Amino acid sequence: MTDLALPGFLALSAALLGVGIFGILTRRNFILLLIAVEIAMNAAILNFVYFAAFPANGATGISGQSIAVVLIGFAATEVAVGLAIVLALNRLKGTINVAQANDLKL
Amino acid sequence: MSLEELAFLALALVAVVTALAALLVRELVHTILWIAMFFVDLAAIYFLLDAPFLGVLQLGVYAGAVTILLLFGIMVTRKRIFAREAATGIGPVPLALAIVTFIFLISALGELPQSETAVASYDPTALSVNLFGPNGAWLLLLGLIMLAGVSGAIYLVREGRD
Repeated sequence: MTDLALPGFLALSAALLGVGIFGILTRRNFILLLIAVEIAMNAAILNFVYFAAFPANGATGISGQSIAVVLIGFAATEVAVGLAIVLALNRLKGTINVAQANDLKL
Repeated sequence: MSLEELAFLALALVAVVTALAALLVRELVHTILWIAMFFVDLAAIYFLLDAPFLGVLQLGVYAGAVTILLLFGIMVTRKRIFAREAATGIGPVPLALAIVTFIFLISALGELPQSETAVASYDPTALSVNLFGPNGAWLLLLGLIMLAGVSGAIYLVREGRD
């Protein structure tokens, strides 16, 4: 495993972040929004793993993997809370379309 | 082009295609299948980067737990599980914003030093020593946030709330 170039990985990460932002801005279903956020978050986690795999001279990059472990836990928590909001919204409004969750709008 | 580079290119292509497909297909259940493929694909990339523990964690937490949670969310919020999502147009502004973000991030790649070093590999022992040693505060924070998140989630969905 010697000649995997770093920029290719970062390009993939940038592309996934773009896909996530696109999804967050266009989808109206709460579950699809959660999925788009997960895609964007996975792009960030990938960056930590890349930089752990390509450490600077003499340094050890293992902290990157540690942070990635913590971030995976954060993302799982976020999905759990997000789905609780989905259930509460569904009970309150009968739909999970975020365009109809506008009670705070003036 | 080496075998690893070919494998990475294939995995990267699959990652982008499955992520887009997950957001663009009309049936929500098919979305779950695409996103599960996306998570498994990312786990394969972690294995390619010599991070086997993270690969297994990705498979267990994302491809396993998160996928099932999302499927459960779909199951309890719709009358017919294969109901189709109403078509929402692909607006030009979100598409432009996503492409601008991508180009902005890509434009920074030229500034990076070209790494010729081998992929560093660590065994899970070293990872756990690092995780519970210098990064122990993060792990503690993760535990507290998970506790707060689960408490909040239970509060949100409990019956008989005024």
